[in-house]
Amino acid sequence: MKKIIIGIACIMSIGLLAGTIYFEQSAKLPPPAVQPSVNEQNLQSSPQPEELQPIYEEDPLGYSLQNDQLQITYDRGSSWTEVPLEKEKLFQGEYRGSEQELIPNSYTLNEDRAAFLYTEDNDKNSKRVELLYSLDQGDTWKEAVVQEEYAPLRFRKLDFTSDSFGYVIISSDRTMSQEWTTVYTTSDGGDNWSQTNRPDTTRLIFDGGFVNENVGFLSYGTISPTEPDLYVTQDGGDSWKKSEVLVPEEYKKHFVMAEVPFKEDDHLAILIKQGPSGDYQGGHVKGKFISHDQGRTWEFSKEVDPNETIE
Amino acid sequence: MKRSNRSGKKIFGWLFFLAAIGLFSGQGIYFVLENKYTVEYFDNRLFYVINLFIIVFMMLSLFLLLTLEKKGKILISNIAAALILLQAGLMVNHSYETKQVISFSPELDHLLVIKEDSDTGQAAYYRTRYGLLALPKEDLPYQIGGDYKVKWLENDIAAVTYEADEQTLHQYIGTYGARDGGTSYSYVASMSRGQWKGKTAEVTNSSEGITIQYKGETEHYTQENMVQFGTLALVLTENNEAKWTIALNENFKSNSNSPEPPTGEITLYKATMEQNNPISLEYSSATD
Repeated sequence: MKKIIIGIACIMSIGLLAGTIYFEQSAKLPPPAVQPSVNEQNLQSSPQPEELQPIYEEDPLGYSLQNDQLQITYDRGSSWTEVPLEKEKLFQGEYRGSEQELIPNSYTLNEDRAAFLYTEDNDKNSKRVELLYSLDQGDTWKEAVVQEEYAPLRFRKLDFTSDSFGYVIISSDRTMSQEWTTVYTTSDGGDNWSQTNRPDTTRLIFDGGFVNENVGFLSYGTISPTEPDLYVTQDGGDSWKKSEVLVPEEYKKHFVMAEVPFKEDDHLAILIKQGPSGDYQGGHVKGKFISHDQGRTWEFSKEVDPNETIE
Repeated sequence: MKRSNRSGKKIFGWLFFLAAIGLFSGQGIYFVLENKYTVEYFDNRLFYVINLFIIVFMMLSLFLLLTLEKKGKILISNIAAALILLQAGLMVNHSYETKQVISFSPELDHLLVIKEDSDTGQAAYYRTRYGLLALPKEDLPYQIGGDYKVKWLENDIAAVTYEADEQTLHQYIGTYGARDGGTSYSYVASMSRGQWKGKTAEVTNSSEGITIQYKGETEHYTQENMVQFGTLALVLTENNEAKWTIALNENFKSNSNSPEPPTGEITLYKATMEQNNPISLEYSSATD
């Protein structure tokens, strides 16, 4: 036993000496990082935040949802403005995405306006639909109530066609293939919102939009649609009529879902796409239709491949 | 009586022996970690201190466990003394070779570690890990040329003021916490918008920058002259020299998601090598 203890003591003494020599040689400071230049001091911080990568709306405008915070940039990410809104409020309702990007069409982001549609709990056990917007690139923010009481959203869309006129289309209360869709418009840039009338249908909304403050459209039918179901208003939402889409016989079973019309020269144009199970020429080709009476009737113009530029 | 004395000696002997082996193994593990993860003891001298404990424990265990003749006792004592002298000498030498800034926070739960290589003057900021270890985080942007001083502005904010080679003054802020729940990266300048008043100073933080009124003088700093550290502190600079640090106190709440103004206090700390105290400021009114 004595020999073992002495043996261990000897080994440890030698180990200590060897370890000390090794430590002395390696104790010089390791270079942890390349020494930053003086100009880079502005980037110094600890702990280093995750660098934000803009999701571009239109270069150089973009936003980021990194670190669970919505932030916007007007200069390709050189500087960021925090949007004073909890991220989860942007995604409440029937949304199954990754929350890495904003819900398409639920916001507006351009040089003149940053606006975000969201919902939050009100004290009546339902949701309040609100808009947070800034007209000075994020320096100041305003909140506007679009609808005081509403059920959790499924479809949501926000857009402005001019400095003053904007619209919100939302839907909720989905049961099977029926739901409630409502439309709101503003004529003062987003401060005040009023609900318009609505078409007499409870099909699921597919898309909608206004081309100006009077003329707007709602397109219904997302589950196995058989023909375009498009409604038009020409008085800012007071009354809605079903649009007449004259689909040529050979295209009738293909072109069934109407997108949002847009202004083109002196008339309106619309693309009507194939349904979820459409397979005509690969399923991507759409029909372009033209209207000369503000969307009341639509005539077939041509087939459009979305990969080509629309003329 | 004699028997119980002997068994007591044996127990202590074995305890010292095991402690020595444990510490020795610990040093071995340290070498492995150091090689693999470039971690270091937060204070390099800890290596020698642990070695000293190993030597003393080993010597005591030999005396207690073995029946030694006088010659043996002298031999062991001499070897131990030589080893102790060697370790102590190297430890003192090391203190000269590497300048270290090591400072505990007021509540002793955070540790500021900056190590400087006196050959190159290069200093690096370290983050502590698992108690005794530290990991180099980043180099300080300027080499420490002369003196330095450490001031804890809050329990989780340490301000290091130091002179660089060209007689310029700099501040490096170590931050160890967050405000507002710390769920996201936030900007100190935008969180502390408003007018802040203290006993001897006033800070006006608006979209146009930060203005400081102190002893009848007014200084203005724009976005380009602000360097943020963590999410808690901001150093205001002029001609690449530090002038002031603005830090968010532990009671600070930005209330950024509500229309209410921030609550709590912020701290203003002048960059100077002279003895000075931080100034506490309270929110007084809103700015643009």
